[in-house]
Amino acid sequence: MNHRKSLFFTLFVLVFALAVVPAFAQAPTDVKVWVAFTDYRLDWAQQKAAIFNEMFPQYNVTVDGYANYEELFSATALAAEQNALPAVVQYFEVATQDARDSGYFKSIASALGGRTEVNGVPVDLEDFIGPVSAYYTLDGEFTSMPWNTSSAIMFSNMNILNAAGVDTPPATWADVDAACEAVMALDNAPEFCFTWPNHGWFFEQWVAQQNAPLANNDNGRSDRATEVMLDSDASIAVAAWLKDMMDKGYLYYSGAQGGDSWATVDQAFQTQQVAMAAYSSSDTAVYTQTGVDNGFDVVASFLPYNQETGWTGNLIGGASLWLVEGLPTEVEDGALTFLLWFSNTNNAAEWHQVTGYIAIRQSSNDMLSTADWYATMEPTASQVWKDNALVQATQGTPWFDANPNFIVAANQLAESQITVATSGALLGAFPSIRNVITQALDTVLLADADPVETMAAASTEANQILEEYNLLNAPE
Amino acid sequence: MDSFVPFLISIITGAIGCAVLAYAFVKAGRSALLGGVIGALAGAAAPLIFMLPLNYCTFETERTGLDVAFGILLIAIALVAVILPLRWISLRILGHQTVIARQVTPGAFKGRWTPWLLLAPTLVILILFLYYPSLDTFRLSTLLARLGARRSVFVCVDNFTRLAQDASYLNVIGITFFISIAIVVIGLVLSLAIANLAYLPIKGAAIYRTLLIWPYAISPAVAGIIFLLLFNPTGGLINYALDNLFGVKIGWLNDPTAAPWAVIIASIWKSMGYNILFYIAGLQNVPKDLIEAAAIDGANAWQRFRRIVIPLLSPITFFLIITNMTYAFFDTFATIDYLTGGGPVNATTTMMYNIYEVGIVNNDLGKGAAQSILLFVMVIGLTVLQFRTTGERVTYGA
Repeated sequence: MNHRKSLFFTLFVLVFALAVVPAFAQAPTDVKVWVAFTDYRLDWAQQKAAIFNEMFPQYNVTVDGYANYEELFSATALAAEQNALPAVVQYFEVATQDARDSGYFKSIASALGGRTEVNGVPVDLEDFIGPVSAYYTLDGEFTSMPWNTSSAIMFSNMNILNAAGVDTPPATWADVDAACEAVMALDNAPEFCFTWPNHGWFFEQWVAQQNAPLANNDNGRSDRATEVMLDSDASIAVAAWLKDMMDKGYLYYSGAQGGDSWATVDQAFQTQQVAMAAYSSSDTAVYTQTGVDNGFDVVASFLPYNQETGWTGNLIGGASLWLVEGLPTEVEDGALTFLLWFSNTNNAAEWHQVTGYIAIRQSSNDMLSTADWYATMEPTASQVWKDNALVQATQGTPWFDANPNFIVAANQLAESQITVATSGALLGAFPSIRNVITQALDTVLLADADPVETMAAASTEANQILEEYNLLNAPE
Repeated sequence: MDSFVPFLISIITGAIGCAVLAYAFVKAGRSALLGGVIGALAGAAAPLIFMLPLNYCTFETERTGLDVAFGILLIAIALVAVILPLRWISLRILGHQTVIARQVTPGAFKGRWTPWLLLAPTLVILILFLYYPSLDTFRLSTLLARLGARRSVFVCVDNFTRLAQDASYLNVIGITFFISIAIVVIGLVLSLAIANLAYLPIKGAAIYRTLLIWPYAISPAVAGIIFLLLFNPTGGLINYALDNLFGVKIGWLNDPTAAPWAVIIASIWKSMGYNILFYIAGLQNVPKDLIEAAAIDGANAWQRFRRIVIPLLSPITFFLIITNMTYAFFDTFATIDYLTGGGPVNATTTMMYNIYEVGIVNNDLGKGAAQSILLFVMVIGLTVLQFRTTGERVTYGA
C-alpha cells in the first residue's frame, strides 16, 4: 500500500514537473504582426515567420491577415482604443500621415538607437533603393520598415495589339488612344480596349507624372498639407482623358471602386475583354502567368502619360511595416529583429520574385542579376517560393533577363525624377480623400458629368475632409 | 447667446404646459390652479432634455436660421414628449384609475426582487449593448469626431443641419425609399403568387415548398455573393442568358439605372422564402366553405381570390409589410456591400449603407451618428404611420 502511494506521488511530481518546467524554461516572446493580405502573400509571410521562429527560438512571431488595407486601418484604430495593438502593423502608403499623427508608432531609427545589429541581424538602411527610403523617411528619420513596394505600370495583351498592327505597348495617352482605335477596328475586336482599377492611386500616379502636386506645402512634405487640389489642370486632364476613352467605347469601367476594383480588372484582362490594363506591379507574377495559362503574350510597360505635359516620374505605392510605440523591450527587440531579417537581401528578393513588388534592396537587385541567385536563396527560402513555377523555370539564368516584365517597375522608379510631385502626397485622411476621388471619376464616367465641374465639387469635398481631419489631429 | 434665452424659452414652454394642463384639469372638474402649476413646472423643465446637453447652442447669435429652427423643433418634441404623458397620467389619477397595470395572477412572483433578479441578465445586456450605445450615438451626433483622432470638437447640431442642405443626402433618401418599396411590393406580390401555386395539392408539394423556402436560410451577405456571380458582366449567367436569348447585355453593376434592380432582385429572392412560408400558412387557414359558397354563387377563380382570399390574408400581409420594410431598410446592407458597394454613381447607396460609408469607411463618427439617428426616427415614424393607416383596414376575422 505504501509503495503504491509513493509510486503515485512520484508519478504526480513527475507529471507536474513536466507540465510546469517548460513554462519556466524561457517561454518564447510573442510578437504579433498584422498585415493586409489574405492570399498567397499571407502564406508567404507566415512561412517566413515560421522560418524566423526556428532561427530565433526566443521569439514567436505570428502573422495575421486582414482583407485589405482599409480594413486593417480601421482594425488598428479600434485596437488602439482598446489597448490591444500588436507589435507590428502594415500601413499603406497613403495612411502614412495618419500613422504619424496617431501616436501609435515609434520610428525604426529611434527604436534602433544607433545599433548596427540586433540579435546578430545587421542594420543596413542605406541599401534600400532611393524612392523607397525617400517615401518613408519623414523629417529626416527612417520611420517605418518598407516591405511591399510597387509602382503603377501597364500590362498589354500583345496578341491583340500585334493583330491590330501595334508592335510595342503605347507610351502616352495619345498612343493608347491610337492603339485602341486600331484594336477596336479589328474584325474580332475585344469588347473594350483598355481598363484600369478605379483606385485613387492611379489618379495620383497620372497627376504626379505631369509633375503636379496633389496638395499644398510641397505635397505635405515641407509642412502639414491644408489644401488638396483635385481641380488642378493635371487632375482635370486625367478625368477628361478617361471620359474621352469611355465615350469612344474604348474604356471598360466595372463600376467597382477602391479595394473592390482590382478583381474586376483581373477578370477583364484574363478573359481578353480588353487589350491593355493599367495595374500595380505588385501582381506582375500573376499577370504574366495569366497570359501563359490563357495562351497570350503579356508585356509590362511604363504607365502611359499625358503627352501634353511629358513624363516626370511615378510615385511608389504599397505599404510599410510600422513598429508600435510602448512595447516591452524584449517584444520591441523581437519585432525589430524580425523586421530587419524580413527585409534582408534574400527575403526582399524572394518577395519580389513571388509577387512582382519591386526588390527594395540594391543588394537584392544585384544578386538577382547574377546567374546563381537560386543557390544563394534556397537555404532560407519559403515553400511559396520553392513552389513558384517561374522561380523553378528560370533558375540558373539572371532573373531579370529571363523575366523582363519584372524589371519594368524598378526601371520606372529608377528613371523617375524625384520632385515634390513624384515623392507622393502626405495627407491626413488620405484614405477618405481617395474615396472622394474615385467617386468623382465614377460620376464623370457613368453619369456623363462634366470633368471640370465634378472635379471642382470633389475638391471642395476633399478639402472639407482635410480641414476637419487637421482640426482634430494636428498637434497644438 | 444672450443669457435671457433659456429663461425666455422656459417661460414660453411653461406657459404652454400651464394652459394645456389647466384646461385638462378644468375639463375633469378639478382646480385649474393645480393643473396650471404642474403644467407650468413640467413645461418649463421640458426644454432641458435637449438643451442642457446642447447648452442652448442652437440659439447662439452666430447661428443660422436653420439652426434656430432645428432648436425650436427639438424643444417642441421635448414638450410633446413631456406634456402629453403627464396629461394622461394626471387624468388617470384624478379619475382614480391605476396608472400601471397591477394584475396579481396566480403565477406571479411574491417577492419584490425575484423578478428583477431573473430579468437582470437580459437587462444588463440590453443596457450595455443597446441602450448605452444608443444614448452615446446622440452624444456623438453633436461632435466632429474621428476614430483614433487626438481630440473631438463640439459642433452643436451642424451634423443634422448640414444633412438638410445636402442634395446628395436627399438623393440617398429617395433611393432608400425606391429600393425598399420595390422590394416590399414586388416581393409580396410574387410571394403570394408562388405561395398560391405551392399550396396546390400536387405530387411532391412538400419538396417544392422546402426548396422555395430555402433561400431564407441564406445570409444577406451570401445572397450578395451569389448574385454578384450571377450578375457578373462577363461570366455571369444572367447576362449570358440575356445575350443568347435577346442579344442584350445589361450593365447590372456599372449602369446607375440597372444597379438598383440588381439589389432589388437579390433582396427579393433572399426574403421570398419567408414571405411564402407565411402565405402558405395563411392560405391553409382560409375557410374552404367560403370559397365553395362563392363558387356556387358563380364567382370565377380570380374573383374568389380577389374578394375572399386576399382580404382574409390581410393580417398576414400587414405583418409582412412591416417585417419586409424593416428588412429592406436594414438587412439589405450586406447584399449591397457585396453586390455593388453602394455604386455606381451612388445608385444603390441606401441610408443604411451611407451610414457605413460615412461612419466606418470614412471614419467620420459624428456625421455617421447623426445619420443613424435620422434613420432611427424615420423608421419609428414609418412604423407608427403603418399602424395608424393600414392597421384599420386589416380584417382579423371572418
